[in-house]
Amino acid sequence: MIISSNDKISTPQAAVVVTNFILATGILTLPRTSVEKVKTPDVWLTVILGGIIMMIAGVIMVKLSQQFPGKTFFQYNQEILGKWFGWLLSLLIIFYFISISGYQVRSMAEVTNFFLLESTPIWAIIMPFMWIGLYLNIGGINSIARMFEIILPITIVFFLLVLFMSYKLFEIDNLRPVLGSGFLPVLKGLKTTTLAYSGPEIMLLLVAFMSQPNKAIKAVLIGTFIPLLFYVFLVIMVIGAFSINGVVVRTWPSIDLIRSFEIPGLIFERYESLLLVIWIMQIFASFTISFYAAALGLAQLFDKKVKFFIYCLLPVIYIVAMTPHTINELFKLEDVLGNIIIILFGVLPLILFIIIKWKRGKVDETIQ
Amino acid sequence: MWKNIVYFLPDWQVIMQAIIIFLIPYLISRLFIWIRENVNQTEKKQESNTFQESRATGDLNLDVKIIREKIGHNSDVHFREFIIGNTDIRAVIIFVEGLSDKDLIDQFIMKSLMNVSFKNKPLFVYKSSLEREDKIFEFIKNQVLHIGEVKETNNLNELTTKILKGSTALFIEGFLDAFILETVKGKTRSIEEPITEPLVRGPRLGFTELLSDNTAILRQHGENESLSLIKSQVGKRGKKDLVIAYINDIADPDLIQEIKNRLLKIDIDYLPETGYVEQLIEDNFLSIFPQVQNTERPDRVISALMEGRVAILLDGTPFVLIVPVTFSMLLQSPEDYYERWIPGTLLRLLRFLAAIIALLAPSLYISFISFQPALIPTKLAISIAGTREGVPFPSLIEALIMEISIEILREAGLRLPKPIGPAMGIVGGLIIGEAAVNAGIVSPIMVIVVALTAISSFTIPQYSAGITLRILRFVAMFFAALFGLYGVILFILFLCSHLVILKSFGVPYASPAVPYKLSDWKDFMVRVPIMMMKRRPKLTKTKDSIRKG
Repeated sequence: MIISSNDKISTPQAAVVVTNFILATGILTLPRTSVEKVKTPDVWLTVILGGIIMMIAGVIMVKLSQQFPGKTFFQYNQEILGKWFGWLLSLLIIFYFISISGYQVRSMAEVTNFFLLESTPIWAIIMPFMWIGLYLNIGGINSIARMFEIILPITIVFFLLVLFMSYKLFEIDNLRPVLGSGFLPVLKGLKTTTLAYSGPEIMLLLVAFMSQPNKAIKAVLIGTFIPLLFYVFLVIMVIGAFSINGVVVRTWPSIDLIRSFEIPGLIFERYESLLLVIWIMQIFASFTISFYAAALGLAQLFDKKVKFFIYCLLPVIYIVAMTPHTINELFKLEDVLGNIIIILFGVLPLILFIIIKWKRGKVDETIQ
Repeated sequence: MWKNIVYFLPDWQVIMQAIIIFLIPYLISRLFIWIRENVNQTEKKQESNTFQESRATGDLNLDVKIIREKIGHNSDVHFREFIIGNTDIRAVIIFVEGLSDKDLIDQFIMKSLMNVSFKNKPLFVYKSSLEREDKIFEFIKNQVLHIGEVKETNNLNELTTKILKGSTALFIEGFLDAFILETVKGKTRSIEEPITEPLVRGPRLGFTELLSDNTAILRQHGENESLSLIKSQVGKRGKKDLVIAYINDIADPDLIQEIKNRLLKIDIDYLPETGYVEQLIEDNFLSIFPQVQNTERPDRVISALMEGRVAILLDGTPFVLIVPVTFSMLLQSPEDYYERWIPGTLLRLLRFLAAIIALLAPSLYISFISFQPALIPTKLAISIAGTREGVPFPSLIEALIMEISIEILREAGLRLPKPIGPAMGIVGGLIIGEAAVNAGIVSPIMVIVVALTAISSFTIPQYSAGITLRILRFVAMFFAALFGLYGVILFILFLCSHLVILKSFGVPYASPAVPYKLSDWKDFMVRVPIMMMKRRPKLTKTKDSIRKG
C-alpha cells in the first residue's frame, strides 16, 4: 500500500499526534504507580528522567525511519531483516498496537463505569466509543491529525486549570526531603515512569506521512516534552496534596485530587466528572491512533486498503478489550505490555539502526 | 497453564457482541455506499434529443410564418411590419411586450429604419446585386441601427429563444440573416437591504433578482481591474445565465477550474434558485453542514472575493453562493469588521458561546438531571428537584415536547402575515410556556433552558448554519438521554470527527482551528486590529497573499 501524496501531515501535526498518544491512562495512575516503586517524594526526578530516556528512544526511532523516506516501519523492516523475520516483527508490533487499543478502551470503560455510569454494562460503553473511533479512522491520517489538534488544547487547558485550582491543598513539605534517601530510589521507579511516556513509537509510522521528514526529530522532541512538563506538574501537585502515603492507597489519585477541594460559588460543584469528560476525549485520541496503526500495519503487510482492516480489527480489539475479567487483571495486562514496549521499542530500534548502518556501510565498501 | 488460557478465552456473549460491533458499522457503510452509487447512476442519462435545427430561408414571408407558428399564438408576442426608408424593402420586427424596451424599439429601431434615406449613399454604384445587398446589410447594421448589441443569425431556434427573453428580431426582405437586437429591459425591484441579513452598521445594499443588476453592483462596489465575471448557461430546458465571479490575480486557479468542472456536470432541466446549484456542486450531500455559503449582501461577497474565494450568481435569485466555506465563516458577520476590534472580538466570542449553548444546552440539562445530579451545586439541585416534583415525564420526553413545540412555533412564525407575527410570539412563548408549567407538564427550568437555546440560535448570522445547529441539538439530546454526560462527550467527539473529515472544495471544513496556521487565527475567534491583518487567509491558497492597505 503506497502512501498517496494527499496523506501528508505537517510537523506540528506530528508533534500533536505523539503528545496525544503519550497522554493517556498514565495521567490517572502515574502518581501511584511511580510512588509504589520509588517510595520517596523524589518521584518528580524519576518522571523527568523517564521523559528524557523516552526522548532518546524516540530520536533513535526517528533516525531509523529517516533512513527509508516514504516508507513506514512495516515496509522497511523487511529490507533490514529479510522477508520472514520482518514479517514476524511487523506482526508483533501490530499485535502490540491491538493490545494497546484494547487496553485503552477497557480502562476507559472501567473508569466511566465507576464514576459516571454505574449500572451501564461495559459493552454498551465500549461499542459507541469504538464506532466513533472507526468513523474517524476511515477519514485517514489527515483527519486523525486534525482531530488531535482539536483535542489537545482542550485537554491541556482543562487539566492545568483543574490542577491550579488545587493549590489550596498543596503542601510543599510533602515533597521534602529532596534526595533524602540518596539517588538510588529514583532509579528504581525509572521503568514505571518511562513506560508512562510510551508513545513515540508511533513515529515509526508517522515519518512516512510527514511532508517534511527532516523535521521529524523536532516533532518527536516537542511531542515528548509537552507530556513531560505535564506529568511533572501533575506528580508534584498530587504528591504535594496527598503525600506519598496518601497516594499509594488510592487507585486513581488524580481524580481524588479533584474531588478533594471545593470552590464554592462556581457553576459546578464536583469537578471530577468534568475532568473525566476531558480524559475520555484523551483516551479516544490514544485509542484511535493505535487502532489506525494496527490497521495500517496489516494493510501494508497484506497489500490491501486500510479501510478493510479497520473494519476487520473492530471485533478483534473488542475481544481483547473484554478479555481481562477484573481491574487487577487489567493492570497486569499493562505490566505485560510495559515489558513488551521496552523490548520492542527500546532495544529493537537501536539494533535495527545499527544493522542498517552496518549494511549500508558494507554496500558503500563494495561499491568502492 | 491450559487452565489459564481457557480462563482468558472469551465466552459466547463476548463473541456475540464482537460480531454485532462489526456488523452495525459495516451495514451502515454499505448503505451509504449504495446511496452514493444511486446518485451517480442517475447522472448517466442519454443525450436529450436536441431540437430540430431550423434555419431561415431568406424568404421574409416564410420565415415570419415559421416564427408565427412557433410563438405567435402568445398574446404578448407582437409582429410589426414596415418599410425601410424610401425604398420598398419590407422589414418585420418581432418582440415581446413587457420584456423589451419599448422606447428603444420605437425610437432607435423603427424610427431609424423608417427614416433612413439611401439617396446620397453611393450604394447604387455596385454592379452585382449581391455586392449591393451586402453593402446595404452592412450599412443598416453599422450606420442605421442605433443599438448597443447587434447580432446576426439565421438559426430560428436561437431567434425564438432570444425573442422570448426580451430581444427584438429584425427580418429584412431579401436577406438570409436576421438581426437580434438587445432590447431587454426586465422588471426589477429597487436595491434595498436584505430582510434576512440586516446589520446595525453597514451598507444597506442587497442583490436583486436580475443578474445584470447584481453584476453591476459587484463592479460598482468591488475592485474594478481584476474582477472577472465569467458567464455560462445552466439548465437544459429553462436556460439560465450563471456568472462566476472572482478576482483574477488573487483566486487560486485550481479552485476556479474545480468549480467550472462541477458546474459543467449539472444536468437538470431548470434551476429556480442557487440552492439547486449549491446542492448539485457540494462535496458531501449527505452531511448536515452546508459546504457552500449563500448571502444576499454585496459587501459580504466582495470581502469574500478579496480573500480569494469565488462567487456564483444566478439569474432570478438574489442569493449568491460563495465557495469555499469553513465552519467558522458561518458564524461570522460583516459587522465584526465594521466595528472596532474590541467590540468585534467580544461579540464574536459571544456568538461562539451562543452557538455552543444552542447546541448543547438541552442535552446538558438532560444529562445533569437524569444521570449526574451530583454535578450541580447542591442548592440548585434541591430547587430543581422541587420544581420537577409533579412532572410526569422523564427529562428526555419533557425536553422533546418543549423543543418540538418551539420548532413548530418557529416554522409557523416564518409564514405568518406581519400583523399577527409579534402577537403570536407572545402567545406562543409566554402564555403556552406558562400554561404548560402550571399544568405540570414541564418544569420551569426546562422552559428557561429551551428559551435560552432558542434565543442563542438566533444569534447565528447565517440561516443555513442555524438550521444545522437546530438539527444537531436533537441528536445531542438523544445521545444525552442514552448515556448522560458520556453521551454528550461521544456526541462532541462524533461531531468533531465529522467536521474534521468534511472538506469544502479542498479546504478542510474545520479550518482555521485545524490544521494549526497561526496567522489564520487572527480572524478566527478574535478579530485582531486591521493593521495586524496583513495577509490573506492561507486556507484559500491565494496567489497574492499580501493585502494591499
